[in-house]
Amino acid sequence: MKKTPEQQIDQSAKFAFSFFVASAGLWLLAAALLAYIASAKLTDPLFLSSWEFFTYGKIKISQANAFVYGWGGNSIFAVSLWIIARLSQSAVRGSILLITAGAVWNLAITAGLLGILDGHMLGHELLEMPKEVWPALFVSYLVIAFIIFVIFRSRRQKVTIAPQWFIIAALIWFPCLFLFAWNGLEINEGRGTLQSILSMWFGQNIIWLWLTPVALGCAYYIIPSVLNRPIDKYYLAIFGFWCIAGLAPWSVVHHLEGGPVPMWVPAIGTVMSIAMVFPIAVASTNFHSTAFQDISRVWNYLPLRFVIFGTLSYTISSYIGVIFSLPAVAKLTQFSIINEFHFNQRVYGFFSMIIFGIVYHILPQVTGKEIGTAAKNFHFWTSALGVFGLLLAYLIGGLTHGVLAQQPSLGWVTVIESVKPYFLITEYAFLILGFSQLVFVLNLWKVLVPNPFSCCENDAEQKTA
Amino acid sequence: MNNIFKFSFYIFLTLAFAWLAFVVGAKNQYGDLEPTAESLEEDGSIPIDAELYPKSMPGIAQQGAKDYLSLGCVTCHTQQVRSEESGFDVERGWGKRPSVPRDYILQNEVLLGHNRVGPDLANIGLREYSTEWLHQHLFMPQTLVDGSICQPSPFLYDVSEEPSEGYIESKSDDKTVYIKPSFRANRIVAYLESLKQDYELPEIAFSETDDEDLKEVDVTVASADTNDTSKSLPTWLATQIESGKEIYMKAAPGGGLCFTCHQPNGQGISGQFPPLAGSDWVLGEKERLIKISIHGLMGEIEVNGVKYNNVMAPPGIPPGSLTDQQIADVLTYIRNEWGNSASAVSPEEVATVRLTVKDRAAMQMWTAAELQKENSSD
Repeated sequence: MKKTPEQQIDQSAKFAFSFFVASAGLWLLAAALLAYIASAKLTDPLFLSSWEFFTYGKIKISQANAFVYGWGGNSIFAVSLWIIARLSQSAVRGSILLITAGAVWNLAITAGLLGILDGHMLGHELLEMPKEVWPALFVSYLVIAFIIFVIFRSRRQKVTIAPQWFIIAALIWFPCLFLFAWNGLEINEGRGTLQSILSMWFGQNIIWLWLTPVALGCAYYIIPSVLNRPIDKYYLAIFGFWCIAGLAPWSVVHHLEGGPVPMWVPAIGTVMSIAMVFPIAVASTNFHSTAFQDISRVWNYLPLRFVIFGTLSYTISSYIGVIFSLPAVAKLTQFSIINEFHFNQRVYGFFSMIIFGIVYHILPQVTGKEIGTAAKNFHFWTSALGVFGLLLAYLIGGLTHGVLAQQPSLGWVTVIESVKPYFLITEYAFLILGFSQLVFVLNLWKVLVPNPFSCCENDAEQKTA
Repeated sequence: MNNIFKFSFYIFLTLAFAWLAFVVGAKNQYGDLEPTAESLEEDGSIPIDAELYPKSMPGIAQQGAKDYLSLGCVTCHTQQVRSEESGFDVERGWGKRPSVPRDYILQNEVLLGHNRVGPDLANIGLREYSTEWLHQHLFMPQTLVDGSICQPSPFLYDVSEEPSEGYIESKSDDKTVYIKPSFRANRIVAYLESLKQDYELPEIAFSETDDEDLKEVDVTVASADTNDTSKSLPTWLATQIESGKEIYMKAAPGGGLCFTCHQPNGQGISGQFPPLAGSDWVLGEKERLIKISIHGLMGEIEVNGVKYNNVMAPPGIPPGSLTDQQIADVLTYIRNEWGNSASAVSPEEVATVRLTVKDRAAMQMWTAAELQKENSSD
């Protein structure tokens, strides 16, 4: 029973990959629950209101953190580990170290979220977890990233390709971002609104330079490998990559438009946001002109359907994001629930959908077991429905909110009354999403947990198959 | 691209450049701002004996900022008044002027926020909310503001069924309870009351559209205020004035929406909307006022010798929907508020005038010239 080199790599990655995906799944469920509670509290403010633990602000913030660091972090580790190992054609080493670091990462997030719910949050965007947990998070992250780097360094093929650039860059960006932000917010604390600029810069960049590139890297990996044809106009990919790298860190501060900061800060942000149409166009061309050459295969192979849903959502909503960064539009929508639209489209509609797809793609290769087609289809359609409803409600609700808020004659309550129906829609959307993710995670655990540490049983199954 | 060290270095640089600009650059530009006087001497020095702004918060308010943060209030409330090109925050009455970086230099927790599910709080300390009101709101917002989705915080209060020393009444539709603020509740309210940008700085003056008092955004508060002058008046007149005030301030169907242009203090907005306080039109002919209240007014009008040129849709939500009684009430109110004193207007008078203009199309607004001509010919 000679294994192919791919199978050997899958075998070596199995232990760590299963751990990260399984914990990512749990965090996804935790985030879904928190998201539902938060949205239910907006439609009925008296819901769970007598417990301080469940205050809306705390729930909302812990949901974002559970989502980005719990689900996002763990799934980034899982997919980057596997993709980098596969592309480098070298086995995963140091599984024990990976899992130890992963356990520390998860424990630190748990402690951090409990800290937020207990009232010890910091006032910086996506850096709200209490100070004490950050060193643990940072060190465990460095260990995991270092191991992935070692695998990357030992690659057989010296020439790198797009998925590697995006994933490796994301792995480097996160600790750099963190150090910059930590230095300015906690060590050499800036006075006044200097803090706000940095906090905004960090919070938005986490999405743009950590979650986004990993998801793009996954798409650059899975589309050509499943369709078995090269990326169309691949020569543009390098341009798109450096555009994101060069522009995104500048563009994110446009959210401060009109605020108490020097005018050049949001002005640069706006200009750079508009320039982001180039990388968006490149990624969109690369993905879609390749995928649409063989659309029936995309449709019939479910992981790819997830991924293309994600890339389409990326394209559409990034263009919408560019429009909303124009000062004339930002005037209306700047502080409205359009912000929720931006956050959710990026983490649900784009990042999560691509991660679902890539996990479904990797899972049978690593474990040798398939999740039932019906369950996967159910997951796809409920996710698509939930995401669609959620984003539409936030988009239309956000426009209503923003436009009415600019009528000085309307009382504030009147403005909020007119947004309430949309809050109700998001509550149902989160319910659907939560249910859909529950099915996903249950199936995931059924495949991973029965005997994730044994190799012999799976070998036997593979042989009989 | 193939050498990981070079690659990592470039990746680091992409971030480092942006960091240099936004953090190091901004810090060099305004990292050393200090409190200063409202206006400077010609040579740029701070006048002797001048008050310096911003002032640091009282200690209890600084503690309150931490509680405000720990409850996650920043998720829904911003604390920044945007510049006039970027939004209508000043017009909405959320501040006397846009916020500037100097306002925040003494705050330990700078909580600008970027979502407004609730109103902006940069100047909450300037709005006419009493300490009690803030406590009642913190305890159960829905008892004060109908339809609010602000989260109640009953866990900050000791609740009792019986009134006693140090307890505040909190009325809801079905029952009345008495609440005693905890230390935390007191700290949060002290923090909210300390939030005000009510001073000018050399770099920013009060906005021109601004008036003496901030506009009342919360209609319920405005109508809950009892009018002192009405106490000495006969009951029927007091009732009419009170009802008129409600219509004047109301921004929902059945209301008049008058305050948005003429302002809660009746001063109007200089250059745009004429004042009602001391206005020769308001204190003059009733018939003209009734006509304006039915059909609206457009074009040039001279009030107290100052020319205005604007459009006033027929008052009411929807426009022109006010009943005879409502018009009578609101006119009586504006003729007897802000130092005005003139005879009351009765619903019968309104009905009579309405009959004389019944042929006029619903939205055909009057012009000042038209009204004056008709009057002189009478």
